[in-house]
Amino acid sequence: MFKAIVSASTLRDALDSVSVLVDECKIRLNEDELAIRAVDPANVGMVDLTLEAAAFESYEADGGVIGVNLNRLEDIAGMANSGDLVQLELDEETRKLHIQIDGLSYTLALIDPDSIRQEPDIPDLDLPAEIVVEGAQIGRGITAADMVSDHIRLRVDEAEEAFFIEAEGDTDDVDLRLDREDLIDLQAGPAESLFSLDYLKDMNKAIPKDAEVRVELGEEFPVKLHYEFGEGMGQVTYMLAPRIQSD
Amino acid sequence: MTDWTETYRPSSLSELRGNDKAVKGVREWADTWDDHREALVLHGSPGVGKTSAAHALAADKGWETVELNASDQRTADVIERYAGRAANNATLGGSAGGDDTGGRQLVILDEADNIHGNYDRGGKSAVTSLVKSAGQPVILIANEYYEMSRGLRNATQDIEFRDVGARSIVPVLRDICRKEGIEFDADALERIAERNAGDLRGAVNDLQAVADGKDHLMLEDVVTGDRDRSMGVFPFLDLVLKESTSAQEALQSSYEVDETPDDLTTWIEDNMLKVYDTEEAVRAYDHLADADVWLGRVWASQNYSYWRYAGDNLSAGVAAARDGTKGGWTRWGRPQFYHSTSDTSDEVVRAIAERGGFSMDTARRAVLPYLQAMTHHCKPRALTVEMAAAYEFEAEHVSFVTGSGETTNKVESIVEDAEDLRAERMEEHSGGAFAGVALSAETGEHGDAGSDDAGDSEDGQTSLADPDGSAESGESAGDAGHDAVRDADPDAAEDDDGQSGLSDFM
Repeated sequence: MFKAIVSASTLRDALDSVSVLVDECKIRLNEDELAIRAVDPANVGMVDLTLEAAAFESYEADGGVIGVNLNRLEDIAGMANSGDLVQLELDEETRKLHIQIDGLSYTLALIDPDSIRQEPDIPDLDLPAEIVVEGAQIGRGITAADMVSDHIRLRVDEAEEAFFIEAEGDTDDVDLRLDREDLIDLQAGPAESLFSLDYLKDMNKAIPKDAEVRVELGEEFPVKLHYEFGEGMGQVTYMLAPRIQSD
Repeated sequence: MTDWTETYRPSSLSELRGNDKAVKGVREWADTWDDHREALVLHGSPGVGKTSAAHALAADKGWETVELNASDQRTADVIERYAGRAANNATLGGSAGGDDTGGRQLVILDEADNIHGNYDRGGKSAVTSLVKSAGQPVILIANEYYEMSRGLRNATQDIEFRDVGARSIVPVLRDICRKEGIEFDADALERIAERNAGDLRGAVNDLQAVADGKDHLMLEDVVTGDRDRSMGVFPFLDLVLKESTSAQEALQSSYEVDETPDDLTTWIEDNMLKVYDTEEAVRAYDHLADADVWLGRVWASQNYSYWRYAGDNLSAGVAAARDGTKGGWTRWGRPQFYHSTSDTSDEVVRAIAERGGFSMDTARRAVLPYLQAMTHHCKPRALTVEMAAAYEFEAEHVSFVTGSGETTNKVESIVEDAEDLRAERMEEHSGGAFAGVALSAETGEHGDAGSDDAGDSEDGQTSLADPDGSAESGESAGDAGHDAVRDADPDAAEDDDGQSGLSDFM
């Protein structure tokens, strides 16, 4: 059983953050929250999303799992104006999801959850550095890095107490330095890893510019990016494996 | 009903039947991957265990796998997005220290010889750059090793999987029957194994088809029709050009060949004269010309139903042009332009055209012949180096132009020198840009001398002394003139030791 009403913008934010990594995903309809966890086909990027029941206008669920085609669902959600409410109802007989937006009604065929790539376990990581920064700052670093290279180095300098976003191209370099005062919070530690911009660029699209992004970083370890949406009642964690250093 | 070929797919390399040597090679490749970091090509007939070997290897090593096969569209973009990302990043689980594989995962590109030019746009070159830059082990799987481009073959190691002998197939079938609880006549299994000559997967599929749901498998159950097999090009040529007694027989055989009419036309055309006498050839050429007209219509209209008329002409038409049958054995040759030189030649011509700023046609007809004459067998060497540097040629290109063997030391050293030369030029050039007026005036003067010299000598030179002002070509001109005035100007800012100019050789 699943029946919920949610604002279109919250739904869109949630879907966008997942669709940057995968085309299909499983949605867990837990009693107190909606949860999505997915890993991209290349096994490099992962997203873990929860949207609390309180983020919905109304929410009833009893722990089922459905598989959806995210592109379709996004398209439908795109039909709504941002203030509109979207009503979702699962028809367990036909295994279809009924979606209603201001008189528009859409029946979405679901995908067998077993046919979707398995949900990953979240590796338990102890990452030494933690940076809390505005989404816009990260976006700036990524956009600049993208001009010169296809990978990016995230680094914390313990001595200088600064967070660096660096990219080295064939001919040109880009370097964004964020000192403690530019950051919301910094817990310095030995941290430096290289990542693919392909992924970060996509993730960056989903991160709201005004969100506080908590970055956990290690040495040649995956990076974790946490942020909230939907007035703090939705949480997203991205995790991205480091790029292999080849020289 | 699950597919037995999946159910009984080996989960470890040690379970793989047949091809012991190849399996050993695969294991060695994986064990030494850290040292060589090269991609591996597994090639061989269908159903002999190539894909199974790749997956079994990953299971043995505890690597995760990312697989891309022919059911996915494989454009450059897709390959970049899936295989490319997987090949350049650590895995989430591994890099987090969750296991001891260090974030390694195996990228498997199945049917790598079947990346189609149009449907998988840009796929071929994406694969080549993938294997060259990959930070993860990559296995390419192919039926026809030589269908893959030379660039790809050179950048990879290869292991051939041979057909699995009937003697190795029977025990596999026996095991499966035991596990499925089916009694069997030994003859029946042998029959299946023989019929599938070398194709283990085919044998397992056949076994499932006849045995599923039965308690006891007897020889009678197995006696069914043989499956269709495609005809090779050589038997087809034998039939059309020598043996067929009717046009219809030749036509029928053309349906069984797994080649497009374009390719068949070139095969026939290139081989026909080996057996046809003059009068037969005249008639046969008429039909080949008609076939070609139809191929042209296919090309122009993209209406592939015209292929059948090309097929009629190239098989029935050519066969009908022959008087009687012919005996003996003929060595059929691969059509000349077929794969052998065309890629390299196109690359060479494209480089010349780009650098010179003229069409590929001009580059091919008005420039390339001169280059070939001037640098025949890499003599004079300095000029060849100069050319390789100017066009950024690789060894294969230099070999194509000069006619020297590609892997010879001579060609390799020329390519190396050309690279050094380019690097030197790059430095020199930026130096000149920052050093100010005096220097640029000087190079300008040299540039004049160079283009005069070159312009006087021959047309082919225009490419090197090209006046379009691009950095390298301007540079070439400058250097060409440089030597001519070196004696008079020993204090020239640049030091061009080892650098000879074009004018020395004219």
